[in-house]
Amino acid sequence: MSVGLALLLLATQQPAAPPARLAASLARIFGSGVRADTIHVDTTTVLRVSRGDSLLGFAAVGNVIGKDQPITFLVAVDRDDRLKDVDILVYREPYGGEVAYEPWRRQFRGARASDSLRVGKEIRSISGATISVHAVTLGVRRLLAGLTAWHASGAIR
Amino acid sequence: MRSLLGWALCCALVTTGARRLRAQERTTLGGYGEVQYTNATGPNTPGRATLRRFVVYLAHSFDERLSFRSELEVEDARVEPGGKAGELEVEQAFLDYRLADWLTLRTGLVLIPVGIINETHEPPTFNGVARPGFDNDVLPTTWREIGVGAAGTIPGKSGLSYRVYLVNGLRAEGFAAAAGIREGRQEGQDATFANPSFTGRLEWARPGLKLGGSFWYGGSASADSVLGTGTFDAPIALVSADARYDVGAASFRAVVANISVKDAGAIDARYGSAVGSRLAGGYGEAAYNLLRALAPGSSQRLSAFVRHERYDTHAAVPAGVTRDASLARRITTFGLTYKPTWNTAFKGDYQLVRNAGGVGEYEVLSLGVGYQF
Repeated sequence: MSVGLALLLLATQQPAAPPARLAASLARIFGSGVRADTIHVDTTTVLRVSRGDSLLGFAAVGNVIGKDQPITFLVAVDRDDRLKDVDILVYREPYGGEVAYEPWRRQFRGARASDSLRVGKEIRSISGATISVHAVTLGVRRLLAGLTAWHASGAIR
Repeated sequence: MRSLLGWALCCALVTTGARRLRAQERTTLGGYGEVQYTNATGPNTPGRATLRRFVVYLAHSFDERLSFRSELEVEDARVEPGGKAGELEVEQAFLDYRLADWLTLRTGLVLIPVGIINETHEPPTFNGVARPGFDNDVLPTTWREIGVGAAGTIPGKSGLSYRVYLVNGLRAEGFAAAAGIREGRQEGQDATFANPSFTGRLEWARPGLKLGGSFWYGGSASADSVLGTGTFDAPIALVSADARYDVGAASFRAVVANISVKDAGAIDARYGSAVGSRLAGGYGEAAYNLLRALAPGSSQRLSAFVRHERYDTHAAVPAGVTRDASLARRITTFGLTYKPTWNTAFKGDYQLVRNAGGVGEYEVLSLGVGYQF
């Protein structure tokens, strides 16, 4: 397989969010007028969010497959690796869009990578949105673990 | 020659558009199914087993906004002319054009958004081997018709979502006393659009909670010279409400519906069908995940549940039709659902099938497995 094709396939697996949507999400979570610098770690793009000289936290965009479509979501952590918020940037399925509702996303706030985040236990599900709930919860767990590990190793700082 | 030209065109498209096409197009295969074993009480009723449903889910996204979804279903494993129950059918096939979170345009063969089971019918999503009787005799699952509409969720804090469709209407010719409007569905097969009908649903969701309200309104005369050729002749008005609530190890669900068949008298006179002028009822169900206490660390579920259904397809009858008390049904189901994963289920239940007339009552033991992916 050529490198070009490999990159192409990689791109296929990573649908993006509209830049305006991403900017609005960061402003909502970290406040307006923040600065976001891009850091590439492994295959993930991490945003380092700061205001002036002070680091506010990090954010990363991920994709998980719902029933058949990618769900593009964002995980934001503060500088102490505590989850600040989750955002659903693009939802493409016909059923299950309830994962974008604030009362559902709120359940993740304050979580750490070491915390257990299981559907039906710490994270309550929503009937009719089960597939999306499981997919996004798994995605959040992975990104939170990634951000925490990269911060600890100094890959992002 | 034509195919050569086609190939050339295809290659040209692939080389110029490969990047965009590959980045956006995506085909997905999925499915669900259920195998059921039932054994009713009474003489000469040996157990029976059937591959009740085998469904292939096929979806394709053409680009970021336009996507197609379908379900192809084989019921009872085998279809042959003059054979037993088996059916081969397309359960849904529609195109979605997503404009925004709050607006997706939808067209094709769509699921009518009433009750719980009609839209969310994968076997691991409900307790009990068979679907509730109510979801057969009152709400005619799996109910799908051809039409156009819109769907969306309202982002932010409201927690509301909606679906509204304009679809082909029901056909009064298929109505019956016991199964109500069920055989009046056209299911996408050469459907008459004599009675365009409206249907819709509003949902409100919170973690663990979902409330829904649905409606259907439209004629059913099918341009029959006796019943009328107007759009809303022989109107059917359906309203339904449902709730699902999960708290800790317990989960609850309930559905109620009322269907008014305004010209039932004329329909019965025309087709001799004895359909009621009002069909009504519902069910309530409570379940408890026993593994929450027995194995607190487990993500598997073993739910004990009880469901009670009360519905009557002769809740009211037109003049000239004798009310059949045996159609006022009361079904109580006790059972267990074991779910090693959230999308697989092993089920067992025992049903007490009763009616106000005390005619033809029986009990039935059922076992089943179901999956979805």
